[in-house]
Amino acid sequence: MKSLTHILLPVLVMVLCLSSCSDQPCYEETDPLMNTVLLVSGTGELAKADSLRVYTYRETDTLKFVKVTGASSFSVPLDPASDESVFMITLNGVTDTAWIRYSRRPHLVSPECGYTIVSEITGLNTTHNIIDTLIIENKSVNLDGQKNLHLFY
Amino acid sequence: MGRRTCIFFISLFILAEPVGRSQDTVTVPLHVRAGFDLAGPVMKLVNRDLISYGIVASADINSSLAVTAGFRYSSFNSSEVIYDFRSRGLSFTAGTDYNFIKANVSKGKYYAGIGLRYGLSFYSEEAPMIRYTNEWGAGETSVPLKRHTGHYLEITPGVRTDLFPGVTVGWNLYMRLLISAGAGKDLKPVWMPGYGPGTAGMSTGAEYYISFTIPYRKIKVYIKPKVRESEDEENEGDQTNTGTSTSGSGIRF
Repeated sequence: MKSLTHILLPVLVMVLCLSSCSDQPCYEETDPLMNTVLLVSGTGELAKADSLRVYTYRETDTLKFVKVTGASSFSVPLDPASDESVFMITLNGVTDTAWIRYSRRPHLVSPECGYTIVSEITGLNTTHNIIDTLIIENKSVNLDGQKNLHLFY
Repeated sequence: MGRRTCIFFISLFILAEPVGRSQDTVTVPLHVRAGFDLAGPVMKLVNRDLISYGIVASADINSSLAVTAGFRYSSFNSSEVIYDFRSRGLSFTAGTDYNFIKANVSKGKYYAGIGLRYGLSFYSEEAPMIRYTNEWGAGETSVPLKRHTGHYLEITPGVRTDLFPGVTVGWNLYMRLLISAGAGKDLKPVWMPGYGPGTAGMSTGAEYYISFTIPYRKIKVYIKPKVRESEDEENEGDQTNTGTSTSGSGIRF
């Protein structure tokens, strides 16, 4: 019995130490992004925009999310403080506006990283200067990194 | 003729006697136990976020098996820079303990074994303050108080011994496997009462408890004697060899 206790006692101490050492930094992704794929209208093939800008106007400033060349997809965060986000999408110099409506809910990433806001897209509207169609492929905007929208132009 | 028959049966009894002598029994008291966990209050000194008080009870079914049940109150209150979280609730466990020590050694006093338990946690959780930041800016939100029921399995290797008659001390390591936190995939509890961190599929720790024991019954346990077949065979072999050599030597001489 004594030898058994001697064997198990260090294990006990180790477990207690491990359980008390729980302050760890956050290494996980915490920003859910709405992922959009650019496709050629009519054929459905993957499109590559010569230039792409995605931004939004606010009362006090302009938020620039994307400014790239040769892009075939882009990812933007939704406004976690609102049920609707408005994006200005400039494809090859032509600008359209997209309104994305969604519901929000908190999601625990981990005790170290805390909570983030994930969304379910409920609807969208867009102007059609260059965009032909914008459709919802996967309504869940979370940390899984799945494609959410298909943008045909 | 009758005399010869009588001698024959007496001889049979004499021959049969060693077989009867090889069976052995020990009398083992069966106990009921009730105690409390000391690790919870001690851990409060290390982890101020957590309050955990547990009581355990068990009853021996036989010399190696016991049914066990536990009840625990836990309260967790964490205040981080990015969120505040609170949970509290009651958890119940029920299962069996298996003692690896043989009855003739344990004598109802010692335990070194493993337990398997099913756990249910009835708890509430809330996050009064959640702070988030992304490209749109920073903001705050909250999760209101909600009640959930969680399920888990508990595997508990441990030891126990009599401190003095009527009082035992012992400790268990525990490995808890989460079946369901009952709160959905988004609001897994930072701490699920009775289980631990609700985001982890497994949690580990230890309990150190003092129990009061009352013997309620005594049973006789048959102890299978150690059969030392190899020795017997060797002896038989030796005898055979001796016989042969004797006869051999007899032949020689």
